[in-house]
Amino acid sequence: MSKTDPGGASRRGLLAASAGMGAAAITGFPMVARSQGRRPIRIGMPTILSGRVAQLGISSRDAVLMEVEKFNAEGGLDGRPIEVIVRDSRGVPAEAARLAREMISDGVDILFDGEPSSGGFAVHEVVRETGTLTLHINTETSAMSADPKQRFWNAFRIARQGIHDSIAGGVYAAEIVKAKNLRRWMTVSPDYAYGRDTTAEFIEYLKYFTPDVQVVGETWPKLFQPDYTENVTRLAQGRPQAVYSCLWAGDLVAFVEQAALYGLFSQSQYFAVNMADYTTLKQIKQLPRGVHSGNRYLSSYPAQPTNAAFGRDYQRRYNNYPTNWAWQAATAVHLTTAALKKVGSTDPRQLASALRGLTIDSPFGADGKVTMRAEDQTLVGYAIGWGTTIPAEPYVEGIKTADWNQITQLEQEWKKGKGWA
Amino acid sequence: MRRLSGWRGDVLAALGALLVAAVLVLGLGSNGLVDFIIRFGIFGLLVLSLNLLIGTAGLVSFGHAAFFGSGAYAFGLLMQSGGWSVPAAILAALLWSALLALAIGALCVRLSEIYFAFLTLAFQMLIHSMVISWVSLTGGDQGLMGGVPKPPFLGIELARPTHLALFAAACLAVSAVLLRQVIRSPFGVALRMLRDNPQRAAFLGLSVFRYRLGAFVIAGTFAGLSGVLMSLYVSGAFPTFLYWTTSGEALFMIMLGGIGTFLGPLLGAATFLFISDRITAFTEHHGLFFGAVLLLLVLGLRKGMLDWAVEAWRSRRERHKA
Repeated sequence: MSKTDPGGASRRGLLAASAGMGAAAITGFPMVARSQGRRPIRIGMPTILSGRVAQLGISSRDAVLMEVEKFNAEGGLDGRPIEVIVRDSRGVPAEAARLAREMISDGVDILFDGEPSSGGFAVHEVVRETGTLTLHINTETSAMSADPKQRFWNAFRIARQGIHDSIAGGVYAAEIVKAKNLRRWMTVSPDYAYGRDTTAEFIEYLKYFTPDVQVVGETWPKLFQPDYTENVTRLAQGRPQAVYSCLWAGDLVAFVEQAALYGLFSQSQYFAVNMADYTTLKQIKQLPRGVHSGNRYLSSYPAQPTNAAFGRDYQRRYNNYPTNWAWQAATAVHLTTAALKKVGSTDPRQLASALRGLTIDSPFGADGKVTMRAEDQTLVGYAIGWGTTIPAEPYVEGIKTADWNQITQLEQEWKKGKGWA
Repeated sequence: MRRLSGWRGDVLAALGALLVAAVLVLGLGSNGLVDFIIRFGIFGLLVLSLNLLIGTAGLVSFGHAAFFGSGAYAFGLLMQSGGWSVPAAILAALLWSALLALAIGALCVRLSEIYFAFLTLAFQMLIHSMVISWVSLTGGDQGLMGGVPKPPFLGIELARPTHLALFAAACLAVSAVLLRQVIRSPFGVALRMLRDNPQRAAFLGLSVFRYRLGAFVIAGTFAGLSGVLMSLYVSGAFPTFLYWTTSGEALFMIMLGGIGTFLGPLLGAATFLFISDRITAFTEHHGLFFGAVLLLLVLGLRKGMLDWAVEAWRSRRERHKA
């Protein structure tokens, strides 16, 4: 090593000093500012704030903060405000589990698990051991609450569920099939567990209502695939009368734009379960007319003033549109605050007991209400509807609302088939 | 003094470190510290095993997470199947990792430098794809769900974080002593010779293939043990365990701590975890801050932290002598 280079030595010294100062700054920061007076109710929330799914995680956090602010402005729980601690898991399940543990160690009263299914199950196992009251707000995998082995007293799901969407989609598609005589079907869905499971469940219910439907071809693009030429060509060659897809967000945008170039939307009826979400609708340059889609989040559906107000407030505050993760997060706050008011404390056993079977007025309910079903501690009664796209606001028209009695009955049969009921 | 410089000294140092960990875990009772010790045990073991390949054998593996992940999946699947005790499942998972390392190593160690690195990466991604595709066994991209049962054994309840922290620390301490003996043994000396001059070693009659394969299998087995601990920690196994980013993180921990000293990788792992945790705690822009801090450390030191410290101490001592 040279010892006659004063310039280099001083630069290194400067860098080392900067690194030292940086480290000191990091370690010196208090984690959360302690508030004076009555101890706030603390909610910990690991979610994805960076990477490809960041937009959803950010919308989840934003919706929680917006609704918590309203609760605090109204005086909180007898003067106790809610304090939310949000941390970025970067979509890594082990990091989500670590953050959950860290938040529990720091004494949070309630955990809002803002992870999708992979991280959600990791957090689920942490809180199974710690007994922390936990609301999973983005895990759509049905098994989390449907499988009795996954259930325990302190975990609740406040999110839509794959099986509910599949039944609702199957019922809606069967009506179109009968009206337009669509027998030849193809599917184009992402090649991972969610894509394969959701597609299989949709086709199962489609055939349940219209047994003579035939699936003549399947094509499975990879997750985050940039080019869909191969899949579009396959669909064009198969000449199906109808196509089902559970591609989502950026992948669905890329697929729709490439498929439109080949005129596929004029040749077949398209059923895209995840189309009606602003993350997709706003991104597609020329939204094709007549694509059948289930609602993820729309401020126009359910057509309630409270839902429109939620969409408007969110947009005004964040200069962005809410997503499916946003309404779920807001519902988590609504149910939690309702339970807190009912119990009057943060005792987890009492809160869990209050949440079980709790029905509240909701902007997102099929009939203005949502319920935390007691038997499997999962959300029911939220609005599920299917309609067709139009190129301008409100983007989806003619939405038909799914019948929850039918969903519940078929869900029960599905559970029996799995040995879960 | 001389008597303490061999394996006895290593055992004493490991016992001392274990005692400190026990005091921290049981005495302070901080959950955050308990979690940190568990993760330090996991990643410490991973980087020590990887440094046997990089630092001692001169083989830069980009695919070490393959054994980390396979250990986690093997252990998780065995425990979920029921009928396995924790020690039996750990031994079976280690055996599985060793066999996998033997099979992959037999093909990889014939190559060296960048070709070796990329072949290990290719095998890792192959296993990652298999785990993603074999949904019925592994749960695909959603990982091994449903929790990993942890029935108590010999009074140890791994479902309790304090027990898991002490168990992880004990695994790390025992493994560190064993790995140190491997490095000190004639086998380790031969590996260093192969690293520095493989032609000369071959000329002297050493089998380059066998020695490198031996190192690869040992490293893979210890990586499997760290995977087992990870599976216990998160009560599951996920495809990210087998992804190249996990291998990349382990490599970075080693580069940060230093490859030239036995304890360098451990210092790197502790620093990496500490900085990462603190940054997550105060900002949502994790990558930006983490990258900046690491950049400053790397640019400032220009080598691993412990390597830098040892070199600075030696040059200072020499100056004093002069």
